[in-house]
Amino acid sequence: MIVVKDLKRYYGSGETAVKALNGVSFEIKKGEFVAIMGASGSGKTTLLRILALLDDATAGEYTIRGLKVSSLPEAERSYYRLTQVGYVFQDYALINEMSAAENVYVLSMMEGKSKKESYKTALEALEKVGLKGKEDRIPDELSGGEKQRVAIARAIAKKPDIMFADEPCANLDTNNSKQVLDVFKDLNDNHGQTIVMVTHEHWHTEYVDRVITLEDGVLVSDEMMDESGEEK
Amino acid sequence: MINDIRVGALIASSSVKRGNKKTLVFIVFVLSLIFMNLVFLPSMIGGMTVLFTGFMQDYPYGDVVIEPTGDNTYINNADSVLKKVRAVEGVRAATKRLDVGASIDHKQNVVGVTVTGMLPTEEYEISQYPYIITDGDFLGELSRDEIIIGAMIAGTGFGSEIYDNLGEVKVGSLVDVTYSNGVKKTYKVKGIMEGTFELVDLNALVHYKEIEEVYGLEESKATSVVVRIDKQGTEEQIQDKIREAGVNEQVFTWADKSETLIKQAMQSMGAIDIMSKFVSLIVGAALILIIIYINILNKKKEIGILKAIGITPRSIVLSYAFLSTFYVSLGIIAGLALYLSLMLYFQANPVVFYETMEIRPVIDPMLLIQSIITMLTLSVIAGTLPAWSVSKESILKAIWGR
Repeated sequence: MIVVKDLKRYYGSGETAVKALNGVSFEIKKGEFVAIMGASGSGKTTLLRILALLDDATAGEYTIRGLKVSSLPEAERSYYRLTQVGYVFQDYALINEMSAAENVYVLSMMEGKSKKESYKTALEALEKVGLKGKEDRIPDELSGGEKQRVAIARAIAKKPDIMFADEPCANLDTNNSKQVLDVFKDLNDNHGQTIVMVTHEHWHTEYVDRVITLEDGVLVSDEMMDESGEEK
Repeated sequence: MINDIRVGALIASSSVKRGNKKTLVFIVFVLSLIFMNLVFLPSMIGGMTVLFTGFMQDYPYGDVVIEPTGDNTYINNADSVLKKVRAVEGVRAATKRLDVGASIDHKQNVVGVTVTGMLPTEEYEISQYPYIITDGDFLGELSRDEIIIGAMIAGTGFGSEIYDNLGEVKVGSLVDVTYSNGVKKTYKVKGIMEGTFELVDLNALVHYKEIEEVYGLEESKATSVVVRIDKQGTEEQIQDKIREAGVNEQVFTWADKSETLIKQAMQSMGAIDIMSKFVSLIVGAALILIIIYINILNKKKEIGILKAIGITPRSIVLSYAFLSTFYVSLGIIAGLALYLSLMLYFQANPVVFYETMEIRPVIDPMLLIQSIITMLTLSVIAGTLPAWSVSKESILKAIWGR
């Protein structure tokens, strides 16, 4: 589904250039739940942002279902982000002045659905992440875990091909982290949702099918995991 | 586009609904002051214009004035003209006057003036001269060898210190008047008039017969025939009717004459008005832009997030255009309330100019409409430009500043 070939991302140029990604290649199949791991500065967030079309690669190729998305013009990338890609930010990235439901249904309205239909979709997504009854609350009235679940609801409401999550549990305690990961696991197991998640917590590997590890911008390992989070 | 508008409206409405109310009040307050700045000074200048044009009607020109044609000094047979004019429907009153140049001296003080010869009893219906006598009495039908002196030349009124004056002339004082034809005559001061207007307070009045005698005029000559009408605003129709009635002299409305006489003063005020509007507009535009720009800068991250999740830049720009239009609309409403309150205040407590001239601001609906349209246009530009510029930034820079 996703094919990444020799992806590079340099900041600056010449000898002082920082090579955040230096020739990364891999493939992700539909329905996989992949964790990208690595130490701080290894390039995992940079990789995720390029995959989610939030940033541009310096070189290399990146396709989703055969479409070379890395070379799409900004208007098409925007449409792709809206319809095909879900992104969960580390710090939730909710609009503070919008209720939970509005944060979710604004995307459906952007897609052209009616307000009523969009609201219904938002309620379903919020219910799926366990936030039924909290649709009218604004982000400040929700806990960290709840905010992250609103962010997940926003990402899944449009039923994206792929969902990207950038350290979604970084600001959450263990209990809330488990709730968020359970939601991911459920989406992956029961709805076939492809998920690519950046994390630095080893215990998160219990939830994923596969772990890609980066080090200094280079892919150093790509391993399938069993249900206990051990390498197969 | 419809989707962009719907999403833009949703973002803007949630921002208004759940945004910081104190910030909203502050923004609206500042915008109301900007609106006030656009309309207040022009209203005051409008009040001054009304005051000056009112003077023109109340003293030298009435509503319509008839003057000699071509190089003629006098209207010949002014009584015949008056008869025709008085027969015109819509004319309330008319009188003839004789304006001549002269110098007045009193105790070695000499002042050049225009002396107006008038029929005192008719002036009660025509002008305010009979009502502005601050000392002594107005002329009577039998007044001979008597003169009314303007307060500024008498040396008693406000502004005397600016102009040459006769040095404290009082009622009963004797003054010598030397007319432009060289005839010199002594008059007893019957009254001092103060109209708080230079054209009045620097002049002198005598009976019509005095000028006739001094200049040896016969057959009812006049330098002007001053006409008052029943209904203000119909001057031009009356002007036409007077011409149709067979008056072959030059017929002017007070506005025609004001244009020439106080054109310069009005032009100066007009220039001030235009400059003040221009400065207000620049200041207003800059302030609206700054307010909205700061607001948008504070929401730069939010704009980045909206872009990252797939909201189109057009929706984002529209949301800020809606938002700033909403702010400015509230600002206009608050500004209007403030403006009308001040107008009411100044109607009751006019601004006193030159100690005696009371200026009441004038509400000009066209000015208000123009200012509202200007503010709304500015709001769209002020809301759109900064939002457009931020929405063009890369997502990473907008959200994470890099």
